[in-house]
Amino acid sequence: MTSKRRSTALIGDDNPVVVAGKSLTWRTLHKLPQLPSPAAVLVDNGADALAALRHHAVHGTELLVATSSRVDERMREELRESGFAIVLPDGDVAPAKLRRVEESGRAWLLTSGSTGRPKRIGHTLESLTTVTSDQPPRTWLLPYSAGTYAWWQVVTLSLTHAQQGLVVVEPHELEEWPAIAAAHGVTAASGTPTFWRQAIYRDADALGAVPLEQITLGGEPVDQAILDQLHDLHPKARISWIYASSEVGASIVVHDGKAGFPKAWLDREPDPDRPTLSVEGDELVIRSPHHGAGLVGDVHTGDRVEFDGDRVLITGRLDTDEINVGGSKVSAGVVRNVLMGHPGVLWARVFARRAPLVGRIVAAEVVLNPALGPITNADLVQWCSSRLPDYGVPRRIRFLDEIPQKETLKSDV
Amino acid sequence: MGEVMTAQGRMLPADDAADLREIGFRSLDFSELALRVEDELGDELNFDAPGLRRIATVGDVLDFIEQLQSA
Repeated sequence: MTSKRRSTALIGDDNPVVVAGKSLTWRTLHKLPQLPSPAAVLVDNGADALAALRHHAVHGTELLVATSSRVDERMREELRESGFAIVLPDGDVAPAKLRRVEESGRAWLLTSGSTGRPKRIGHTLESLTTVTSDQPPRTWLLPYSAGTYAWWQVVTLSLTHAQQGLVVVEPHELEEWPAIAAAHGVTAASGTPTFWRQAIYRDADALGAVPLEQITLGGEPVDQAILDQLHDLHPKARISWIYASSEVGASIVVHDGKAGFPKAWLDREPDPDRPTLSVEGDELVIRSPHHGAGLVGDVHTGDRVEFDGDRVLITGRLDTDEINVGGSKVSAGVVRNVLMGHPGVLWARVFARRAPLVGRIVAAEVVLNPALGPITNADLVQWCSSRLPDYGVPRRIRFLDEIPQKETLKSDV
Repeated sequence: MGEVMTAQGRMLPADDAADLREIGFRSLDFSELALRVEDELGDELNFDAPGLRRIATVGDVLDFIEQLQSA
């Protein structure tokens, strides 16, 4: 590690921060009343989340920050029993039920819960600050839900680097974020593939009008179609995708505009500053310098990979990705990529449906690009039939009016 | 059943005694048909209920689906 990597000096304290339409800086954000420590700060707006983070960065208190809607009553009780005071959006505090010594500097994250109930993962500001090199001046969009790993990545970048402004988008503003971004000169944005697809679907021209120089995708499998669509809209922007999670941190970063990562990155010589990637069976295994507390050594990610020429594609979760159709196995992620490769398909979800004789068959939900004229069930079946074995062709396809999206900006694909 | 066959670029013969293997109606087609019925009814069918028996003709398929619906 270099000393630079571990520096958490608030170099970005004077960076501009736009919240609720107000132009501030980190330093001039409102101050929260003295926070207890450990505290779970539940927020209902982006400004409070940033204020809680800055308080943690300045005072080294033990903090978990999350939107109040992500933390249900049961989890609040669990947190109180683990020694956290719960700070509610209106400022009320439910005291901890266990008195314990704070872990100074500890930042807690909740996993997205893609694999079930959200888990608590311990980090520090240092382990969350994975961007360490000098960055060109940028204004970043912050569309992520407060307290998620992706949110921490963007906010620590802004707080610890010079000339990295932030424009916060609240959940109710997500539908019109391109207009907000254009108005505030956003030049860099990070979002899930679902987030980007929705922006294209709603108004590709508005997205094209944002002066983006850096486009980042993460949090879900990234297919070639969305990378190509974004490149068409922003041919000069650098398009990157990141494999990151609360558990292993940001472990794979790809800038070449292609889905997957080079096979040559597997099983490289160990380097203390670089995650080691390997594949066991068809599961991605990562040993990372950015992992959460207690996750030392190889972490079995639960993500399924598939080899395609000299690339390694991440197709989805192992426990939900494989569909067994009468003994023949097919990856939902692969089928999804084929559907997404159709020029008229903006979004697709592929899943198994229980069926007689074969046990499960492949089914799909899709959202079409209305600009490309009518596309029928038969068109998509034909498209898939020429690219997949017969048991992999979706037999039931439902057409949705819009792309479903959760608070984490993911879509359950 | 006709719609399933058409989606696969084939035609359903008029004769209920037509042999499924000869007309190329496979397990996957049968499964798709069951799910189409399910979607049409807006209700899950109980695939475990009908007893296993030989399904060899178009008529057998139609009987089986009927059985599923009433199960």
